[in-house]
Amino acid sequence: MLKRIWAIFTRDVKVSMRTFISLYILVVPLILAFAINLFTPGINDTTINLALLEADNPEQIAYFKSFAKVELFKDVESVQKRVEARDNIVGILPEGDKHYIMIQGNEPEGVIDYAKLINSLNELDIQVEDTNAEIIEFGKTVPPLKRTLVNGVLLLISILGGMLIAFNIVEEKADRTIRSINVTPTTRNTFILGKSLLGLVLPIFGTIATVFICGFGDVNLLQILLIVSAASLLSLLVGFIQGLSSDDIISAVSIIKLLFLPLFASVLAIELLSAKWQKFFYWSPFYWAYKGNNAVLSQTSTWQQILSYTGIVIVLCGIVYLIAAPRIRKGLE
Amino acid sequence: MKLWHSFIKELKLAFRGFYIYIEIFMAVLLLVILLFAVPEKFVSKQSEYIHLNLPQMVKESFLQRMEDNDLDGKSELIEIKNDGEVIKVQFFESDTRKIYLVDNKEDVIKLADKKQQLGAIIKLDDSYNLAYEYYLQGYESQRLKNLFSIIHVENSDILQTTLDEQDVRPLSTSYEQLTDRQNILPSVLTFNGSLLGLFLIAGYIFLDKKEGVIKAYAVSAASVWQYLLSKVGVLMLTGIISSLIVVLPIMGLQPNYWALILFLLTTVFLSSTLGLLVASFYEDFLQSFGSIFLILMAMVIPNIAYFIPGWNPFWVKILPSYPMLEGFKEILLKNGDITYVLWLSFGFLAAGIILFLISNKRYKKTLTV
Repeated sequence: MLKRIWAIFTRDVKVSMRTFISLYILVVPLILAFAINLFTPGINDTTINLALLEADNPEQIAYFKSFAKVELFKDVESVQKRVEARDNIVGILPEGDKHYIMIQGNEPEGVIDYAKLINSLNELDIQVEDTNAEIIEFGKTVPPLKRTLVNGVLLLISILGGMLIAFNIVEEKADRTIRSINVTPTTRNTFILGKSLLGLVLPIFGTIATVFICGFGDVNLLQILLIVSAASLLSLLVGFIQGLSSDDIISAVSIIKLLFLPLFASVLAIELLSAKWQKFFYWSPFYWAYKGNNAVLSQTSTWQQILSYTGIVIVLCGIVYLIAAPRIRKGLE
Repeated sequence: MKLWHSFIKELKLAFRGFYIYIEIFMAVLLLVILLFAVPEKFVSKQSEYIHLNLPQMVKESFLQRMEDNDLDGKSELIEIKNDGEVIKVQFFESDTRKIYLVDNKEDVIKLADKKQQLGAIIKLDDSYNLAYEYYLQGYESQRLKNLFSIIHVENSDILQTTLDEQDVRPLSTSYEQLTDRQNILPSVLTFNGSLLGLFLIAGYIFLDKKEGVIKAYAVSAASVWQYLLSKVGVLMLTGIISSLIVVLPIMGLQPNYWALILFLLTTVFLSSTLGLLVASFYEDFLQSFGSIFLILMAMVIPNIAYFIPGWNPFWVKILPSYPMLEGFKEILLKNGDITYVLWLSFGFLAAGIILFLISNKRYKKTLTV
């Protein structure tokens, strides 16, 4: 049986390499990981953007630069033009011995509040040297946004595995090789296991690569692989169902696209919504996988926590399997 | 006329398949999630673990102030778990913050470290003035650290008065903000509406290629551009239907629907022609998948800029999904800038026509017998 599973797996690898699809799915997480490394420092450094006059007191300009990103302009009209641009930038302009705040009118409240705060501190002439605070740091270097993005990529990788299976099965159907399997000694379960292997191997590779490239090499790799593998089960299931019930690639793509919905919904729910809204997302395996990955990436996870999250993901996948099993069986006949 | 017949035929074929129904189902699902699981306003409160190392009288004055800011005017005694330990704390919740008042300094440090939140010790210095010890994670920007270091230098009443006196001059007062729920819509419209053509047009073309439809075209009276445009037309219609399903119940009659339809038509046109061009370099869908997927991933980046207002580097603004997000936002706003939307539509149409002409030239060579 193992030999047959291996044979199906190696055949899938060969076919996928021929169409470069496996290569793409291997490479995509790496590119995303490098992209995350490239632009998260810039995002993390962001507070607000200010437009100031070049002619303003150099000390004032330096003061504002200590708290925000500053752009300098020749005159008030240029500042106004810049403030009216589509992004969120606030003008702070001198008038008499004070500065007033110029806004476009559609900036988020937080941006205006921050501008008001630093202008108030400026008016009160409070300098960084006047500090009455001591700052002690824990020495963590990975910002939460990077953790969120890496976590998102890990879940995306799990979906890519399912996508690969769906594409492979649609291709098999087009080549009429699925029916031929029925007249060989390969059992249905062996075929399913053999087909699933590629969809599991790629996420495992992608996860390890992403975790190391993004600087999370010291996390508990076993815990993260456990969660990503459990989340991949759902993608594999959907990949199977879709591959078997689709006659063409378009249908396969569109169903896989549906998987992105619970993924994005889960990430947004955890990151943006308050506790009372969380229960609306308990049905999503990605919700639990994201929570688990988050705990591992922030190095606050315990085995009990990870095993319970993985258990929930597996139970939810089991429910999907029970619903989908007749369709998979029928598709293989 | 031939184009119209070709479009109607493609439409009939599309409705016979699964794809359009899946798109409609997806739009309904998105609508349900947005309506029932996403609040009008997101409430994100910062958690702070604080220990007051102060004389009793000063401590009481602090506690009184925290209670005054508390939502229900009183604190709660709660237990929080940290690293297998149970710590009893006094909990205060204001509009913007959750404050956990902890009995000893060591617990504040442990909680701030493990929960990755702000920890603070408030004490008196040698001259009996208030002094602060902040426990930060280490990844905070220098600008934020600078702010922490001076935010409590001045008496909080004086700072509040100065804040209240700030002269804020808006250039326009006609802007109305979208609610947090509505603010998600531009992202949904861009990725579920405008960019849907990118992937699917390639799927359609390669499917027809496989089934020999293309060869049949070669001996028919219709030309390649009519064939390609009729495919794009189906995607435009799908984009409009699925977008309206989501927008109408959430936004009601507030948006300018003519502008919305025009913007959807031009953006789907651009993404479909881009998909056509990319697909023209490959033999089958699977081969083209990687390139199209990477383009799609690049298009996701402006989404981050959209939700993080202070982060807008130039290179993000030149990606087409950035103006798409901004365009949809203007359409949804009550007094949105429709001139901007029209200019964008013109730009997308012009870029789409150029891509279409190049694609047509390439497909003329590759699609015929």
